[in-house]
Amino acid sequence: MRILLVEDDKQAAAYLVKGLTECGHNVTHAADGEIGLDLALSENYDVLVVDRMLPTRDGLSLIRMLRVDGNHTPILVLSALGEVDDRVEGLRAGGDDYLVKPYAFAELLARLDALVRRRAETPAVTHLKLADLELNLVSRKVTRAGCVIRLQPMELRLLEYLLRHAGQIVTRTMLLEQVWDFHFDPQTNVVDTQISRLRAKIEKDFDKPLLHTLRGIGYKLDAGTDAR
Amino acid sequence: MRIAMRYAGFYAVLMTLGLGILFWASSGYVDEQISTGLKQRMTELLRIDGKKGRESLIHALNAQQAIDVKYRRYFLLLGPDNRKLAGDLKDWPPDFNSVGQVTNVWIDGRLVSDQGDEADGYWPMIAETLTDGSRLLLAQSLEQAEELQEVILYTIILILLVSVGLALTMGWFIGQTLLARIDNINTTAQAITSGNFSRRVPLTGRHDEFDELAEHLNRMLMRIEQLLTGMRQVTDNIAHDLRKPLSRLRNRLEITLLERRDPTEYRQVMTETIEDADDLIRTFNALLEIAQTEAGSFRGEWKPVDLSALLEGLGELYRELAESQGKQLIIQVQQGLSVTGNRHLLAQAISNLLDNAVKYTRADGQISLQAERLSEGVVVYISDNGPGIPAEKSALVWERFFRLDAARSTPGSGLGLSLVKAVAELHGASVSLQDNCPGLRVGLRFLKAVDKA
Repeated sequence: MRILLVEDDKQAAAYLVKGLTECGHNVTHAADGEIGLDLALSENYDVLVVDRMLPTRDGLSLIRMLRVDGNHTPILVLSALGEVDDRVEGLRAGGDDYLVKPYAFAELLARLDALVRRRAETPAVTHLKLADLELNLVSRKVTRAGCVIRLQPMELRLLEYLLRHAGQIVTRTMLLEQVWDFHFDPQTNVVDTQISRLRAKIEKDFDKPLLHTLRGIGYKLDAGTDAR
Repeated sequence: MRIAMRYAGFYAVLMTLGLGILFWASSGYVDEQISTGLKQRMTELLRIDGKKGRESLIHALNAQQAIDVKYRRYFLLLGPDNRKLAGDLKDWPPDFNSVGQVTNVWIDGRLVSDQGDEADGYWPMIAETLTDGSRLLLAQSLEQAEELQEVILYTIILILLVSVGLALTMGWFIGQTLLARIDNINTTAQAITSGNFSRRVPLTGRHDEFDELAEHLNRMLMRIEQLLTGMRQVTDNIAHDLRKPLSRLRNRLEITLLERRDPTEYRQVMTETIEDADDLIRTFNALLEIAQTEAGSFRGEWKPVDLSALLEGLGELYRELAESQGKQLIIQVQQGLSVTGNRHLLAQAISNLLDNAVKYTRADGQISLQAERLSEGVVVYISDNGPGIPAEKSALVWERFFRLDAARSTPGSGLGLSLVKAVAELHGASVSLQDNCPGLRVGLRFLKAVDKA
């Protein structure tokens, strides 16, 4: 995908450009807010990565300008500010997701992927399907190869999120935020146990594994046998 | 001392001003008295002249002269032909012709018939024309008024001298006693500013306002010293606790570089290094979060939080974790509980407590998450039957980096409870540690009117 990175920290930007390029993305880098805004307005990008603190024009102002201009490109806000609710401010300004520095590169990658896919998704689906696993969004019924699987409400929400992001890597924090609406850092990996339980239910009596764990990164719901 | 002198000076000026006004008012009053006396006497004399005739008038005038030895009045009666009929003034004052009103007129001392013991000056006098065209003049010697005013003036000067003297004495006294005590405070403050934090303001034991002030200051100083000590301790702890993993991380990388290794080994080392870095970041984040929460300048979202839903969500997350370790988590949360605050911070705090409970409870142990409404608010209990916290250490567990497990064999940063305490304090909640016989029972008590501090 085409990514515009607006970041004034040269070293951080260099790493990001290198990492994103190696992952097959087309990255343009803007070193300050004005250049960033010019590029965002004149070119077409799939997603923007915008640092909050920028010279010439700060990140939030850049986002507001874009939104006022009718530009709805998904934006991920990067911030060195750690306070709990800085993210609220970032999202209110028109950002779509928020990541606090220092962050894991895998986390950034997964979130960018999710942002771009979310946009492409058609809203009016009545059921989600991956291989022989099916979730009916209306009746909230889950079947695999025709067999009904009983899930608890939270497990259903988790499965729905995974199905909507099938084939993508989702991180633990993404799940905690999106499925449970918790924005904190649990000391123990509580998400892991939730995933294990869901995995047991949807894979136990079937040969083909669907829910894969990527060590140190997150999870991926995928019909292919190999996760990576 | 400077204040005392300034105060005395101010007092003196004020006194002078006040007494000056008194002097001015009293001399005005004396003038008024004199003029009223003259008018009354003139009216009386006119009546005598009208009723009893000229002879009686002259008689009355002369009789008066016999009585008035001091403070005397002088008179002059001229006939219609300006011939002097009676009187002790030699002549009619040259510029005086107003009738019926008391006027101050310049009098030469020689106009008075007596031998030279009267002074020149403006004398108050009054004149009337009698029925036959004769003219009568009454004048008041200035001696009386001047004497009276002199007495007043001397009195005023005396009062002024005494009171300014008193004011200066008082000032000196205040300087010696009260201000000396303020100087005490000043000296202490200076000593503290130059780094001697153990200094305290001495008390006199008189239990007055100065002692009260000194006590308040001492209490404030004690608090500041505590905070400073705490701060120093935290800084030491941070240095100590973060240096270890950092040096470990560095050593591992260094040793890996010593020899040529195969790619899988590099990969392994790098993965481990990333994990260590993540741990460090997590510790830093926790420290930052505690600091920001403790600072009391919280500027994030603050609104009513559905505590019941929050607790159930968290409980469910941790129940899975507990069950996967063969432990049991029982959730007993009353519906419709609500507190005002920040949802994320509350979630983090409760999650820290649940995390500890699951971590420390024994393998087949039981953890419970309870919450209920009280008359004065809401209480949340998180109980486990792990080893608990020994009573003598219960005050220490809130400190940053404090670990009961001194060997630090269990994972954890030692920051969890510090954050719980900071979040509780921000929300005006109290945290208590109780013995769960065996185990630990942590109580979080939210009072009803929770406002952002």
